[in-house]
Amino acid sequence: MAPEIVLAAQEQQQSTQPKSVKKGVEGEAKPTREAEKKDEQTPTAAKSTATRTETFVFGIPQNGLTKKERQVPLDEPPPLAQNSELKYIGKPTPRYDGMAKATGRGKYTADIQLPGMLYARMVDATIPHGRITSVDTSAAEALPGVKAIHVIEHTFGIAALRDPKQEAPSKYPVIRYAGQPIAAVAATSPQIASDAAALIKVTYDRMPFVVDKQDARAPDAPTVFPGPADAEGSAGGGGGPKNVPQVGNVHGPERKKVGDVDKGFSEADAVVEGEYFTQVQTHSALETHGFVVDWKPEEVTVYASTQGTASVRDEFAEVFKLPKSQVRVITEFMGGGFGAKFGAGNEGVVAAHLSRKAKLPVKLMLDRKQEHIVCNRPDSHQKLKIGAKKDGTLTAISLTSYGTAGVGTGAGTAGPATNLYKCPNLLTEEYDVFINAGPGAAFRAPGHPQGCFAFEQAIDELAVKLDMDPMDLRDKIDESPTRRVERKIIRERTNWKTRKAAGVDTGPVKRGMGIAQSVWYRFINMDSSCEVRVSRDGSVEIMSSVQDLGTGTKTLLAIVVAEEFGISPADVVIRIGDTRYPIGPNSGGSVTAGSITPAVRNASYQARQKLFAAAAPKLSTTADNLEMRGGKVVFKNDESKSYSLKQIAAKMPTSEISARVTRGPEYAKERITYGGVDYVELAVDTETGRVHIEKVFGAHDCGRPINPLGVISQINGGILQGISYALFEDRVMDRKQGYMLNANLENYKIIGAREVPEIEIELVENYIAQSSTDAAGIGESAGIITLAAAIGNAFYNATGVRMRKIPMTPANVLAALGRVSQEETA
Amino acid sequence: MSDTPKIEVSRRGFLKGAGLTAATTVIESASALARDAKEAMQPDRSVGPDAVPVKLHVNGQEHTVTIEPRYTLAETLRDHLGLTGTKVVCDRGSCSACTVWLDGTPALACMTLGIDAVGRKITTIEGLTQGAEMHPVQVAFVKHDAMQCGFCTPGMVMTCAALLERNHDPKLADVKHAVSGNLCRCGTYPKVFAATLDVAQQHQRAAYLLTLNPAKEA
Amino acid sequence: MNKFAFVDCTTVDQALAELKDGAVIKAGGIDLLDLMKDGIVTPPKLVNIRNVSSLRGITASKDGLHLGPLATLSELAAHPEIQRDYSALADAAGHAATPQIRNMATLGGNLTQRPRCWYFRSSDFDCKKKGAGSDECHAHEGENQYHAVMNNSTCAMVHPSSTAVPLLAMNAQVEITSKRGKRSVPISEFYVPPEKSLINETVLQTGEIITGIFVPAPESGTRSAYQKYGEKESFDWPLADAGIVLVMEGERCRKAAVVMGVAAPTPIRSQAAEAVLTGATINEATARAAAKAAMQGATPLSQNGFKVQLFQTAIYRTILLAAGQMQRDPSAIG
Repeated sequence: MAPEIVLAAQEQQQSTQPKSVKKGVEGEAKPTREAEKKDEQTPTAAKSTATRTETFVFGIPQNGLTKKERQVPLDEPPPLAQNSELKYIGKPTPRYDGMAKATGRGKYTADIQLPGMLYARMVDATIPHGRITSVDTSAAEALPGVKAIHVIEHTFGIAALRDPKQEAPSKYPVIRYAGQPIAAVAATSPQIASDAAALIKVTYDRMPFVVDKQDARAPDAPTVFPGPADAEGSAGGGGGPKNVPQVGNVHGPERKKVGDVDKGFSEADAVVEGEYFTQVQTHSALETHGFVVDWKPEEVTVYASTQGTASVRDEFAEVFKLPKSQVRVITEFMGGGFGAKFGAGNEGVVAAHLSRKAKLPVKLMLDRKQEHIVCNRPDSHQKLKIGAKKDGTLTAISLTSYGTAGVGTGAGTAGPATNLYKCPNLLTEEYDVFINAGPGAAFRAPGHPQGCFAFEQAIDELAVKLDMDPMDLRDKIDESPTRRVERKIIRERTNWKTRKAAGVDTGPVKRGMGIAQSVWYRFINMDSSCEVRVSRDGSVEIMSSVQDLGTGTKTLLAIVVAEEFGISPADVVIRIGDTRYPIGPNSGGSVTAGSITPAVRNASYQARQKLFAAAAPKLSTTADNLEMRGGKVVFKNDESKSYSLKQIAAKMPTSEISARVTRGPEYAKERITYGGVDYVELAVDTETGRVHIEKVFGAHDCGRPINPLGVISQINGGILQGISYALFEDRVMDRKQGYMLNANLENYKIIGAREVPEIEIELVENYIAQSSTDAAGIGESAGIITLAAAIGNAFYNATGVRMRKIPMTPANVLAALGRVSQEETA
Repeated sequence: MSDTPKIEVSRRGFLKGAGLTAATTVIESASALARDAKEAMQPDRSVGPDAVPVKLHVNGQEHTVTIEPRYTLAETLRDHLGLTGTKVVCDRGSCSACTVWLDGTPALACMTLGIDAVGRKITTIEGLTQGAEMHPVQVAFVKHDAMQCGFCTPGMVMTCAALLERNHDPKLADVKHAVSGNLCRCGTYPKVFAATLDVAQQHQRAAYLLTLNPAKEA
Repeated sequence: MNKFAFVDCTTVDQALAELKDGAVIKAGGIDLLDLMKDGIVTPPKLVNIRNVSSLRGITASKDGLHLGPLATLSELAAHPEIQRDYSALADAAGHAATPQIRNMATLGGNLTQRPRCWYFRSSDFDCKKKGAGSDECHAHEGENQYHAVMNNSTCAMVHPSSTAVPLLAMNAQVEITSKRGKRSVPISEFYVPPEKSLINETVLQTGEIITGIFVPAPESGTRSAYQKYGEKESFDWPLADAGIVLVMEGERCRKAAVVMGVAAPTPIRSQAAEAVLTGATINEATARAAAKAAMQGATPLSQNGFKVQLFQTAIYRTILLAAGQMQRDPSAIG
C-alpha cells in the first residue's frame, strides 16, 4: 500500500519523502530551489541526455541475482559487477581517518584553536514562559577580558504564529522554554565568558506555562502560543504539517485516509487495539552543537559541528545577507549529530554576531545541559487498532497519535503503520501538542521508532490472537523481498524455532524472544557533486563539501575512487567537509551514501577516461584501447603492455586532470524502501524490573554495501541506541517549575558497556540498478526503529505481559507486572 | 506558577571570592607550596584566584602554563597546551571521555584541577603514540573499526590500554567492567571489546602494524 | 566554576590552619568540583589535603581495619584483607560510580558527599537544603521516582554514599580532628537526618576534618555483602541497596545487620529485618521475610512505590549472597 510514498525517481527528486515522514521531522533530502528548477528542466536522464543501454545485476543474491536493463547516460561508467567480484567495494576497509581518531589528532570543531580566538558562552532563559523586560549587560561588559556581547533578536527553531499580530510586539523574543538562548558573551577565556554570562541580568514578566503533554491537551491549559503556530523545518527536516487546525496547544490532525476503515474492521476476524506511550529522547551527541566563526570582511569562515556544511553555509548567507560565495564552512571531524545538527542554529548565528563585533574568531560550544535542551525526539501517545482476516490478511489500520515536539512540531508516528504492510483501509490522525520545552528535531528515523514500537507490537499481538507464529504472519502480509530473506536468515540462525509460549517460565527471571521490522525510504539529494583530480605524479584526490559525521563517508568515497583507479583506498586523498569544494549532500535521512557515491564513481570514471585520452598518444595507442585491470592499466589488444597508474599519469601533458560531476537522476522510477529485521533474546528479572538484552540478531539491507565494516558499525550503533531508547533514556521535566531535571549524562541515562548484548549482524545485498553504485545509507533503518518493538515483543514472550510504555525502567516494568501495590503508589 | 506576571532577576549568582594573593614563582611540585610546616603556617600561602604559573609533566615533557586554580586539567591540556585529543563531553565525570593517566592510573581530566596535577605524571592520548608508532590498542581500534564519530575514542583507548597494562589476559567481562564508565553514543562498544581482546590475544605488535596501511592523514 | 584560591597542604595541622573564612577541604575533588561546576557551592578557597600522606593508607590489624580517609575506592576494593574479611565494604567501594572515579574518589569524600537529589543539584531550583528562602521539598509534589521511601517527610533526598552502608552494618567509627583535638563518632551517629539539620548531612562542623575510619574486627563466623540496584549496571545511582552482615553459627544466624542506603536521607538499619534473621536459619524464606519486614512502614511518594519492591529484592538477595547461598546478582550495579 503506502500510497504516499514518493520515489527517489526522476521527476520527483525534489520531494523524496513519504508524506508521513516529511511532516514528521525528517532527515534532509530537500534540494535547493535551483536544483528543483534544474530538475524541472531535465526531468529524466533519458529525456535530457544521450544514453546507452546497460545491463545491471539485479535483486538479492539469496534469491538468485537477475539482470536489469537500464538507459544510462553516455558519460557514466559501465555497471558494477556484484560485490563478490569487486576488489574494494564490499570489502571491509579500515576507516580512512581511523588513525586520526584513535590517536586524538583529529581536530573537531570543539578542538579548533585560531590565533586570538575568543570563547563564547550563552545566557539562557531561567523561566519556562514569559517576556523579557530587560537585559542588563553592563556588569558583563565591564569585566576585563570581555570582548563582545550579543543579545538575540530572533530565536531560531521555535514555531511561529501564523498571525504575528496575535502577540504584542516586543524588543526581545518571547521566552517559550527554560533554556531558550537570550544572549551570549565572548571573552578571552572560557572562564571569563562564563563569569560574564553570569553577570548578565535578565528580568522577566512570567507567564503561565505547561510542560506536561497530557496537561497541555486540556482545554484550560496555559497556551504556549496565543494562536495557531507552525514550525519551519531545517535542512535536516523538522516541522510538522502547516495550516492544520489548532485548538489551544493541540495542532492537527494531519489526516491520511485510504479506503474505509469502518468497513475494514467490520470485515475483520480479529481486531487488536492498544495504547502506547513513548518518551522524549535527547540526541546526546558526544560533541555538543558548536561553531567557531572567523568573520572577516572578505569571507566568513565557519567551523561547524554539523551534518550539512551546505546547510550551514546557506543559513549563514540567508541570515546575514551574505553571498554564499563569501561563507566558507568546514567540518573535518564531527562528534555525532543523529539528526540534530543542521543549519546555523542560534549558537552559530550568535557566534557570528560576536565575531563580527569583536573582529576576532569566536568559538561557541554548547554545554551538556544546553545540548539536552536544544533538540530531541518527540514523545508519543498512540491509539492503534488493527483488523485482520483469519489468515492474517490486514483489513484495516487506524492510528491516532499525540506527540510533543516542545515549541516545535513534527511528532507524527504513522510511518511504519502506513508503509510496512499492505492494507486496503487506513486512517491515521497525528497531532502535535505544544509544551514549554525545547524543540523537537530530526532524530535518526524521525517518527519511526515511536511508530514501530506501537505498530510492530500490535502486529505481534495480532499473531497471538490469530494463533500464528509472528514470522508466519509477516510472511503473509509483508511484500518486501528483502525482509522475507532477512526473516529466513533469522529463523535459520537464531533460537527462534525453540521459542516457547508466552510467560511459561517459572522463577523470578523469565526469558523470551521477539522480532520487529523496519522500513526506510530511498531518498536522494541532487546536491551531490564532487571533483576527482589526478596529478601527474599519479596521486588521486576527491573533493566534495559532503561531511563525515562518523558514519564513514570518507572511507566510502575512498573505496569508490579506489575501485575505479585500481589503487588502494588508503592511497586516495579525501578532501571533504569544506564548502570550497563542490557541493555535497547534507547528511540526514540516510541520503549520503546513495546520493554522493554515484557522483564520485562517475567523476572517477570520467577523470580516468580523460587521463587515458591524454596519455594514449604518448603510448602510441588510443584511449579506447586502455582499460583498468587488476590495478594496472593494460592495452586491450596486448596484455603484455601493462602500466601502473603512476606511469600513465606521468604521460599527462598538463599537471593535472580532473572531472567534476553532479549526480544524475535515478535510472528508473520505482518505489524503493529499505528494511531490516531485528531479533532479540532477553531476560526479565520480575523482582527488579530490569530487562537484560542477551542477544540481538539484525538482518539489514542498504542496497549495495560499500564498506561492510562501517555498515556493521552503524548497525551496532542503531541497535544499541534502540536498546538505550527502549530501556533507559527519558527526558524528565519538572511539571511544577518547568525545568529539565536530568540535562546531564548522569541522570539522562544512555546505554553503557555492561548493557551491551551479544550482537550478530547479517547484511543482505540488494542490487536495485538505480545508480552507478546502488549504494544506500543505513543510518535510519539500522536497529533504532525496531529495537523497542522487538524488545516489547520479547518481553511479552518472556512474561505474558505487554509493555506499552517505554523506557522499560524498573519503575515502569514493575508497575506493568503488577508489582507495585496500590498503597505503595500513594 | 502564577497568573499574574512578576518581575524577577536572573537566578545566576554573582561571582564569589576575589582578591587573594597570587604566587609569583612557578609551582613545580605538589608540596612546593608547603615545603615545610613553618612556611605553611604563614598566612596567604595560598595561590590564586588569579592565574599562576605551574609546571606540568605531560607525556614525558615539562610544560609551564599559567592557569587559575579553577581551570580543570582538561581545560589546561586543551586550551593551554593544545592537547585536544582529551575530549570534554559531560564535564561532570559521568562519561570518561576525558580519561588521562595520572601516574599511570586512569583518571578524569574534567574532574581534576590543573593545579592539582602538579607533580604527577600526566599521560594523554597524544602520549600513547610513541613517535610515529601507534599503541597496539590504537592499531586494534582502527583494525576493528572501534569508533564512529570518534569523540569517545581517546577516552576508550586510554581506558583499554590501562586495562591491558594491569591485566594481560582480560576476559570480555573484564573489558566491560573497565569501560563501564566510558559512554559512547554511536554504539561502538562491541568493537571496543573486540579490539581490546584482540590486543590481549595477540602480542605481536609488529605483525599488527604491517597489516595496516597507514592512511594519508598524518 | 567560581574563582577560588588554592592551598596545598601536606599535614593535617596545615589543613586545619587553612580551614577558615569559608575555605573547604578538597581531597579527591569529585563531589566538590561537581557541586562547584553547577554553582551549588562557591567556596573562596580550596584546602587541598590530597597530598597529606598521614591520611592515606589501609591497615588491617587484629583489632580491626584502620582506614585513612584518603584511601581511594579502588584501593579499598582491591585490598585482599578487605575483600576477605569485610567483603561488603569491598563490594560497595568496588561498585561505586565509574572505574575512573573510583581511582580518584576517596573514602572520606565518599562518606561526606552531598545529596544527589536532582532538585538539590540543579542550579534551576532553590531548595531548603541549599539554605534558600524556599521552604519546599520539590520532590514531594514533583518528580520523585528516585527519592526516599522512608523518613522522607522533611526532605526526600536519599543518602548518597555506598560505602557508608557496610560501614554502618559493621559498626565503624569515624575519627574527626579539629584544632581543638580529636573525637570519635560511631557512624550510626555520624549522619544527621534533615529533621535535625537541613544544611548539614553529617556531624562534621566547620574546622573539622575526618582523619580516620576504624572498622572493628569481625566476630568469627561473620559474612557480609553489599549489592545495589538501578536502571542499568554500568555507572548508575542505586534505586535500592542493601548492606548485610551476618554472624553465623553453623546454619543459624546469631547476629545480623541489615542496612539500606538509598531508602532514606541517612543510611538506616532495619531492626525489624534483623529480628527476623537473628536466631533463624538463613534460607530464601527467612531472607524474604526479613526483606518484607524491612519495608514495613515505608512511605513511598507518588512515583517511587516500585522502590519498595526493589528494596525487598535487594535485601533478600543480598542476605543470600552474604550467606553464600546465591551468586552476585547480574542485575546489580557495578
